[in-house]
Amino acid sequence: MCQRAVRLSLFCLILAPLSLRAQNFKIDGREVQIHGFASQGFVHTDDNNWLTMQTSNFGSGEFTDFGVNASMQVTDKFRIGAQLYDRNLGGLGKWYPQLDWAYAQYKLKPWLGFRGGRVKTVLGLYTDTQDLDFLHPYALLPQSIYPIDLRDATLAHDGGDVFGDISLGAKYGKLSYTAYGGYHEQGAHGGYAYLLESDHLTFGSIGGVQYGADLRWQAPLKGLLIGASRENQNSTSSYTVNLPSGPIPIRASDNADWINQFYGEYSWKKLLIDAEFRRAWDDNGVKNVSEFQVNLHAWYVGGAYRIVKRVQLASYYSRYWIGFPLSDVEPAGTGHINDKVVTGRIDINRFFNLKIEGHFMAGVGLPGDYPDGFYLVNNPQGLNPNTNALVVKGGFNF
Amino acid sequence: MRYRTTLLASALLTLSLAPHSLAADLKIVANPSVRSDFISPAEVRGIFLAETDSLKDGSHVEPVFERSGPAHKIFLKDFLGVSSESLQNHYGALVFTGRSSMPRSFNSDAEVVAYVAKTRGAIGYVSASASTEGVKVLEVVAETSHSGRALLTQIQPEYPETLRQLGISGIVRLKVVISPQGNVETVSLLGGNPILGESAMKAVHEWTYAAGPTTTTLIVTVPFGTH
Repeated sequence: MCQRAVRLSLFCLILAPLSLRAQNFKIDGREVQIHGFASQGFVHTDDNNWLTMQTSNFGSGEFTDFGVNASMQVTDKFRIGAQLYDRNLGGLGKWYPQLDWAYAQYKLKPWLGFRGGRVKTVLGLYTDTQDLDFLHPYALLPQSIYPIDLRDATLAHDGGDVFGDISLGAKYGKLSYTAYGGYHEQGAHGGYAYLLESDHLTFGSIGGVQYGADLRWQAPLKGLLIGASRENQNSTSSYTVNLPSGPIPIRASDNADWINQFYGEYSWKKLLIDAEFRRAWDDNGVKNVSEFQVNLHAWYVGGAYRIVKRVQLASYYSRYWIGFPLSDVEPAGTGHINDKVVTGRIDINRFFNLKIEGHFMAGVGLPGDYPDGFYLVNNPQGLNPNTNALVVKGGFNF
Repeated sequence: MRYRTTLLASALLTLSLAPHSLAADLKIVANPSVRSDFISPAEVRGIFLAETDSLKDGSHVEPVFERSGPAHKIFLKDFLGVSSESLQNHYGALVFTGRSSMPRSFNSDAEVVAYVAKTRGAIGYVSASASTEGVKVLEVVAETSHSGRALLTQIQPEYPETLRQLGISGIVRLKVVISPQGNVETVSLLGGNPILGESAMKAVHEWTYAAGPTTTTLIVTVPFGTH
């Protein structure tokens, strides 16, 4: 771990000066663009340990990520590229690099294009850009919809997209669509694996087919975007139960998971307002042995205002509740997290930014049953119902 | 067959020269390989926000930005309607999800002109006073709804019988100059089949528009057949 941290520091030190400009070169007369980003965070909580880090004493700086990509416009319509991503967040990521995306794109017409390979999934406003800290005013996106510990649950698929923009004329705006299908896989260093392993199970794999679509409308009112996404997932997970009598391999299937997400964004001059609602249904368990459903409702409303060129203030209210099994009624007292957040962002220059953020949370979700930020293994003393957190995060991109 | 009608041109798309607020302080410049002499603000927006990479005439284009300066500020405000930070975020999202390249940007008008002059399909913007040697200056045109010159009388062009029988169809683009009184002063053919063009010019010459304070130049697109 220590060696990896040293390596990352060296990487950042080398990269930072280079970041003044993107590093481009040519192959066979065609330009290859290299871009990258990195961020380093620090989290302190007044009580419960959060996001698999030991945050409640001095705080934790185990909150690092970086990515680097290369892409080439091969012809007017055809482009290729790939991005590597690596992170260490408490007990997640653990510095194991991932192929974040790697695909070929052919854009036949503005209204018809194709992508194939490992493709970032378009789901709501920010699923495909959730790691790109420099794009967002917040240090942590609303955890109700973009839980950082379940980052890879909906992040990408190995398969293809069909996409395009359809102009509806000046009076009616523009429609953008993406339809996709492929295979998704959650890594061994994400929240599900962490939860299983904290129950002394050995994680094997989680993956399966996913397909879905996103439709978004750029309204004729300048700055207004409204959209809806739907995703269906089938997953098979394998893990091992370690009993004194010996290990027992388990294979579980989810065959009817889905997510519906509705969203809107409005930008006007220096103001940005965004809101999303997500309803998700997970069908978990081992057939005829242990079956249960997860019923999740999540939403947030946020706003950001750039008070001067380099300073932005932002805030959101994020609410989430999760229930077992079939009830649409929020369980009393447990299963929810309400998070009030205020953020200040300073853009030091085009490449570097710094964010300071306060979280005021009520509720801890369902620790021990679902990976939603608070884990029993990190809080052996038990969890208090409220948590306040300070997040400081710096990032750069080139 | 010819007939007089007061129908607005539902089947015709007309464009007019942009309000001078869009064009007065800036010039849109392109590499001479770009075929078109005109560009609409909607096309500018689409190209510079990476929504499209070609003009309506099919020319492939590559946007080129200035990094800062008065021309850049005017361009962002008048053409794209976004702040510098929003533009940076827009391209950040595209580049870091692999959907587009980061466009080139330069520090000065002279650098933009030099790059555009030597790069096939490049299109950029410079301040109105900049030298544009080696590049082509595109005339900015806006949708007719923004011109303030409503079409009052429209004569349908004759579809030459021989071409109809042969199934030859197409779109003709005309440059039309309208007097302050609303009469068509001149019509010239910009593109399309010359026989269809001749027929379209003849008809358009008899169109009348609402009166306006000055002479207005429009780009008129006339479809024939199945177009």
